[in-house]
Amino acid sequence: MSALQADLNAFGRAIVHNDEPSFAITGNYQSYSSLVAMEIYRNNYRGNLHDVLAGAYPVIKQLVGDDFFRFMTRKYIERHPSHSGNLHHYGADLAQFLTTFEPANSLVYIADVAELEWACHTAYFADDGATLDIGRLALIPPDQYENLILHLHPSCFVVRSQYPIATIWQSHQPGACSNFHIELDSGASIALVNRLADVVQVTEVAADVADWLDFLQAGEPMGSATEATLANYPDFDLFCALQRLVTQQLLTKIELREKK
Amino acid sequence: MDKSKVLLAAIGGLLTLGLVANAGAAPNNKMDMKNMDKCFGIAKAGMNDCSSNKSAHSCAGQATKNNDPMDFVAVPKGTCDKIAGGMLKTM
Repeated sequence: MSALQADLNAFGRAIVHNDEPSFAITGNYQSYSSLVAMEIYRNNYRGNLHDVLAGAYPVIKQLVGDDFFRFMTRKYIERHPSHSGNLHHYGADLAQFLTTFEPANSLVYIADVAELEWACHTAYFADDGATLDIGRLALIPPDQYENLILHLHPSCFVVRSQYPIATIWQSHQPGACSNFHIELDSGASIALVNRLADVVQVTEVAADVADWLDFLQAGEPMGSATEATLANYPDFDLFCALQRLVTQQLLTKIELREKK
Repeated sequence: MDKSKVLLAAIGGLLTLGLVANAGAAPNNKMDMKNMDKCFGIAKAGMNDCSSNKSAHSCAGQATKNNDPMDFVAVPKGTCDKIAGGMLKTM
């Protein structure tokens, strides 16, 4: 390892983990000590990551309040250094972190809301996908329908929770009525996240449609995806599900599975 | 239920509707493109904007040393007050 590399590593550990700075990186400044300079640097490091998390998790921030959010993210930042030069990648593990973060234990739904917010964040930065021209479906011979593979928009995510996370998310959007009351026992919800005209939207989706979407996203062709969904949900309405994909512009591409 | 009949009915129905939906899709796409022009290279509102202190990359910096006494804040105090039920009820 080069001397420079060793110094950078020592500096990184001093900033991220509060390690004692090595002799090589101490220096003298006119108005403050090098230790104070390190603290300023560390504070900027934490401040930036806090702001990144606040940008990705605005609902969580409102739920717990600014002070608790700062405390909570401080603990997260200590345990999860940034691993990417792109700050938009930072914060992916917050939901996982929250499942074991004791001070937030009373908010049983918070990890699920974090998972939903990360899906929204990822959807915002997901690749573009051209909306499918439905006319292309008309070119498929009906006896090939079961071999159809539907490609969903890269911003499409399904998030499941036993709590009403979609309602919680919607109640915290700009312009939503601030005077809300939500009963956690009002039931499970499955949130469908997608980006439409540069805006991320969260809608609710029924369990049968969610399962069907999972099959499609796993690359299952229409025939087996629909059959597997019908096996669990005999009332699954394929027409409604397809119509929803079209109206929410979730379909980007269709292709026929190669015959084996 | 016969799977191929289900597929036939659903996709057939979609195609009947599809012509209508599709007629609306073209201008929509154009509008998307316009938005894209405007937003190209710009991240989420409030982020990526160096002059703002909400910035994800706060160039303005935090020119203080870190001693923020945050460790005592161990109770969530936000809109979570408005969400009731769940595990809290059994405590």
